Parts: sequence; structure tokens; C-alpha cells
Amino acid sequence: MGTRILAVEDDERIREAVTLALEDEGWTVEGAASGEAAVEAFERHPADVVLIDIMLPGIDGFELCRTIRRTSDVPIVMVTARNDTHDIVAGLEAGADDYLTKPFQSKELSARIRALLRRIRPAQLGHERLIFGDLELIPEEGKVLQAGEEVHLTKTEFRLLCELALNRGKVFSREELLDRVWEYDYFGDGRLVDVHIRRLRTKVEADPANPRHVVTVRGLGYRLQA
Amino acid sequence: MGPPTPTVESTERASGGSPVVPAAESKRWLWIFPHRPGPLGLRRRILLIFTLGALGLATFLAFTTYGLVRSNLTSQRDSTSLNAAYRNANQVRQELSATNVTTAQPAVEALERNGTDDYALRYRGQFTTATGDYGERSIPASLFTRVVAEETDARMIADVNGETVVIVGISLPQEQAFYFEFFTLDEDNKTLSNVALSLLLAATITTGLGVLVGVLAARRAVRPVADASEAAKAIAGGRLDTRLTPTDDPDLGVLASSFNDMAAALQLRVERDARFASDVSHELRSPLMTLSASVDVMEARRDEMPERAQAALDLLVSDVARFRGLVEDLLEISRFDAGAIRLHLEDLQASQFVRNAVAVSSAPGLAVSCTPRAERAIISGDRRRLARVIANLIDNALAYGAGEPELQIEDGNAPEETMTHVKFAVEDHGPGVPVEERALIFERFARGASAGRRSGSEGAGLGLALVDEHIRLHDGRVWVEDRSDGEQGARFVIELPSREPIDFVDGPAGHDEDVP
Repeated sequence: MGTRILAVEDDERIREAVTLALEDEGWTVEGAASGEAAVEAFERHPADVVLIDIMLPGIDGFELCRTIRRTSDVPIVMVTARNDTHDIVAGLEAGADDYLTKPFQSKELSARIRALLRRIRPAQLGHERLIFGDLELIPEEGKVLQAGEEVHLTKTEFRLLCELALNRGKVFSREELLDRVWEYDYFGDGRLVDVHIRRLRTKVEADPANPRHVVTVRGLGYRLQA
Repeated sequence: MGPPTPTVESTERASGGSPVVPAAESKRWLWIFPHRPGPLGLRRRILLIFTLGALGLATFLAFTTYGLVRSNLTSQRDSTSLNAAYRNANQVRQELSATNVTTAQPAVEALERNGTDDYALRYRGQFTTATGDYGERSIPASLFTRVVAEETDARMIADVNGETVVIVGISLPQEQAFYFEFFTLDEDNKTLSNVALSLLLAATITTGLGVLVGVLAARRAVRPVADASEAAKAIAGGRLDTRLTPTDDPDLGVLASSFNDMAAALQLRVERDARFASDVSHELRSPLMTLSASVDVMEARRDEMPERAQAALDLLVSDVARFRGLVEDLLEISRFDAGAIRLHLEDLQASQFVRNAVAVSSAPGLAVSCTPRAERAIISGDRRRLARVIANLIDNALAYGAGEPELQIEDGNAPEETMTHVKFAVEDHGPGVPVEERALIFERFARGASAGRRSGSEGAGLGLALVDEHIRLHDGRVWVEDRSDGEQGARFVIELPSREPIDFVDGPAGHDEDVP
């Protein structure tokens, strides 16, 4: 079965045009005009990627994002009207995996979606379990255990953790992580990394304020340690 | 106050030449009178009034005091000298009125017992003196006549042996004697000159204090004006939320409140204008999204279209792209106007950054050269905004210049200097930018007159304005000049603050903000 995309956008014309453009990529697109319609559509028929415009009547994009996140680890792309820090960080903290600022090109959008859909090949990770103290990665099953309990990560968070785990002890700069996880070039937005690291810490760290595993190396980047 | 070289100025104006600063001479005048010759400023006026007031008052008091002291001293001296002279004269009379006296000897002895030295006694036409200091010759003729000939007591001030003395002459006709006594005024004069000196000192101090008080008062008086002027400057510089502190002073309160009202009105207006531009560009985005996505769908089917439709589609595609660029620029500009730009600063290795920026620009194959020293330069910048700057300059060179543009990264300092700046220069082979258009070209929607003639209508004229705004936010400068190699063409130069790395690591240096 092909890839399903749920596009949540209240402007009918934009929704239609984006639908046409994404269908050209060979994906099945379902449109939703409001947050409520989107929740219903997602429950009825889960999508592989959700595209959410932040400015929605009724349930807004942030709320919709959080609602979907409660039940699903589906990749979510936020569409913001403004390029200001507040909206972008708020969207990412609500659970979005990536964002685009209007007006964007459909080529950009499909490139983002493709990057999110790409999975880490199990061969790359091997069959071994990766253990960092009380943190355990089971790549084959896509599972992460923290003190023996399974932790629920989104696909992007898992991918980020795997990148850090694959090179035990290596310090990754933001640019490297943007390239490896999001497939962004040199001009990607470092806030994507920062917010995802923060999200990851709330899930895998016993005390997210004093991380023991996902640590910041001042001036250089991030590293995963036992 | 000297007039500032009117001749030089007027001749230059008359000849209609370029408005060059008129000669060094007038500059010298301005240097001496920083506020240029003309009516005195409020501060100087207040200072002048205080100074003159203090000077006048001090002088008046000094003269009055001096006069009083002097008249007091004189009357005191007169009475003591007269008393002493009469007392002595009485003694002389007593001695001489004894029966068998033929010489002045008894009187002289009596005076000697009294301790009186400075006298001259004429007895029976014969003068006797105690010391050589004063004698017959010391007595002015007029006094002599008055006392001896007219037999009248008299008093006179005269100079004797270079000293000012009071001479009291008392005639004792029954004894055929005339008594003259000399009282020196030196002591009094010394006292008076001491008093004068003290008064002069006091007057000077008073005037000095007056000047000081004047300076303080002037500063205080002018402070509200200075504050208002500072605030006005701040507003002109773009800090529209600047306000004067309200004051209880009823006179100044009016100034503060009307100034603040004006600032608020101005701010409201500017914000409304900025919001309008921002709203317009926001509104434009929705149709633009639809257009852009639809055009992409059509473009994917270009081959299925008839030739004429293809030509129309190509026009549509390129103008939708232009439209998008314009809207993005407008949005960015309105962010500048709203003051909403927050730079995301990080340390970037200049050369690596520029090469990356070129790679994502519309001319990824552009030749980039870099001097060895600039290769090491570290700049602190917002990489996405600076990349936009490079892209805009490249687009500008592609639109208005002919042939392949080049990008040069150069030292902003002489070799012996510490590195403080680095330059990025984009050179093209176009017709160049005429000197008179070089400042205008960075204004919004300003397209050089020659540029307009030259190409069709490519380029919306916001690109360079954005470059200017971005670079200014980065504490840098941008300008346009002639190509460095003397060939025809424009050279757009960005100068940014930079430094050499402390420890050079291959790759971008670390970030500075909250997280890593």
C-alpha cells in the first residue's frame, strides 16, 4: 500500500493545490479543513505523514499536534505562517518533526516528507543491542528501554538517538545531526536539533534537567554516553 | 566672534560645484566655537548672567567695605593724632610758660619723657627737633605760613622723605612757640592695602562661586532640553519606544508630556505602516501558495502541453518564482520594520560559510577566491540571514552584470594589523554603478536608472535593501565601487567584523547560544 499523507489546511485552495502536487509524487493525500476533521480522519485511517498548518480554526495546529502525538509516533510537518522563533519552537515542542514556512515550494515539501519517511536500515545498526548504562537500544525492534521499561519515541527521536548511539562517544555537531537525521544542508535550522534533544531527554533521562546520557558538549555539539 | 569665511562658501555655491565642505578655515572657527558664532546658547546665557551678577555683587561689596574701612580708619587716625598733638602742645606750653625760661630745653626734655620723637618745635624763631627725620624743611610752606604767620592751628597731609605723613601744627603765641608734630600714615596704608587685598580675594572667590553655581544652574536648566534632544535622536535612530521621564515641574512637564504624545503618535503611525506592509505580504502568501503548488503540478506535465501553452507556462513559472521572492523579501523587510528580527548568532568560519552559501545560491558554480589570512577569519553571524545576503548579491550580479560574476574573500586589515574585519566582494562585468547612484542603490525598490534601461525588468529592488539591513544588524558595512582590476564592472563589498581563531579547528567553530 502506498504512502498516505494527511494534509490539514483550512484554506481550501491551498489544500487542493498541495494535494495535487503531493499526489504527483505518487502519494495518497487526504485533506482535512479543521483540527477536528483531522483527528477524526486520523482515527479512521492513520496516515504515514501528517502536514499541519498552525493557523487553524477551532483546535489549532499545536493542539492537534499534541492530540495526534498522544496516540501516534507518525512524522508531523508543521506549516507556520511566520518565521518567528516562538511559533517554530512551540510547534516542535508540541511534537512536530520538522517545519516549513509559507510560502514554500512543493518540491521543498516533498523533500521534507521523503526525509521523514526514510528509515534507518537495520543492517546499518546491526543486530546487537546498544547499551548505555540503564539505556538500552534494540534496533531490530525499534525499541528503547530505560531501566528495563520501554520508552515510546517518535520515529525522528529514535533516529536521532540511533545516530548518536552508532558512534559511541562521538560528539556530533548540530550540522552533522541536521544532515544525518533531517537531511538538511549547511543552512538547516539548528533549533530542530535543540528541541528534539530536549524532547529526547524528557523520555530517556531519569532527570531531564541534569542529563546523564544525552549530554551537551559546550561549543561542539551533543554526545551519547553511558 | 569671527565670521566663517563667507567668500569661499559663496563662490562655491555660485559656481554650482559639488557641495564640498568650505575650506579648512571655517572648520577652524567651528572648532573654537563649537556651536558656531551666533546668538549665545541658553546655557551660555545663564552662565553669563550668573558670572556677571556675581562679579557685580562682589565688586560692589568690596568697594563699599573698602570705603567704610578707609573712612573709619581716617577719622580714627585724625582724632588720635590731633589728641596726641594737643596733649604734647599743652605740655610744651606748660614748660615754656614757666617764668625763667629762655630756651626750648625744658619742653624738649618733657617731650622726650613722653616718648615723642616726631616733632619740630619753633621757639623764638629757633627750630628744635629730636631726630633728623623731620625738621623745619619737612614743613610745607603753606602750613608754615598758616601756623606761624597767621597763628592758626592747622593740619595737613604731605609727603616727607617719600612717606605720607599728617602734620599737625599748633601755634602757641603767648609762649612765642609753634609746635609741629608728624604722624606717619604708613601703618594705616598697610592696613588698607591688606584690607584691599582681602577684599579682592573675597571678590574673586565670590565670582568663582558664581561661575560654578552658574554652570550647575545652566546644566540643570538645559538638562530637560538635552534629554529631549537625546530622546529625539533615539527616535530618529529607530528606537520609537523612547520616552521622556515625566516630571513634577509644571513648566517642564508640558515639554515632557507633549514630547511623549508626539513620540507615541509617531510610533503608532510607523507601526501602522509597518503592519500594513506585513499584513499585505501575509495576505499575499495564501494565493501564492496555491499558485506555486499548481504551477509545480503543471510543470510536471509540461511535455504533454502544446507549444504555446508551454511558452505561457514558462512565463508563469518564472514569474511565480519572482513573486515568491518578492513576497519573501517584503516579509523580511516588514520584520525589520517591526524590529522583530532576532539574529541567531554563531561563530562561522568565513570562507567555509561563503562557499556553502554559494553552493545553495542561484550560481553554485561561482568562482570563489580567498586570501590565506581571510581563510582563517571567524565571523559571528546568523548563517541563514548571511547566506541570504550572499545569494542576493549573486542574484544582483547575475541580473545586472554581464558574464560570470566572481566572489572574493579578502582581509579587511593591513597585514601588520590585528584582524578586525573581513570583506566579501562580488564583482561583475556589467556597466558598473555610477557614483551618484551608489548610495541610492541600497534603498528599497530603488533600481539604478541605468539598470532599468539595461535589462528587462529582472530584480525587484528589495534585494540590496535587505543586504543593507542584514549587514547593518551584523555591525558591518556594504557598499559598491568599481572593479578592483580596472575593468568595467561593479564590485559590491560587504565588510563584517571578524577575528582570527584562537585554536584553528577544521570546521565551523562552536555555537554560542543556550544549548551546545
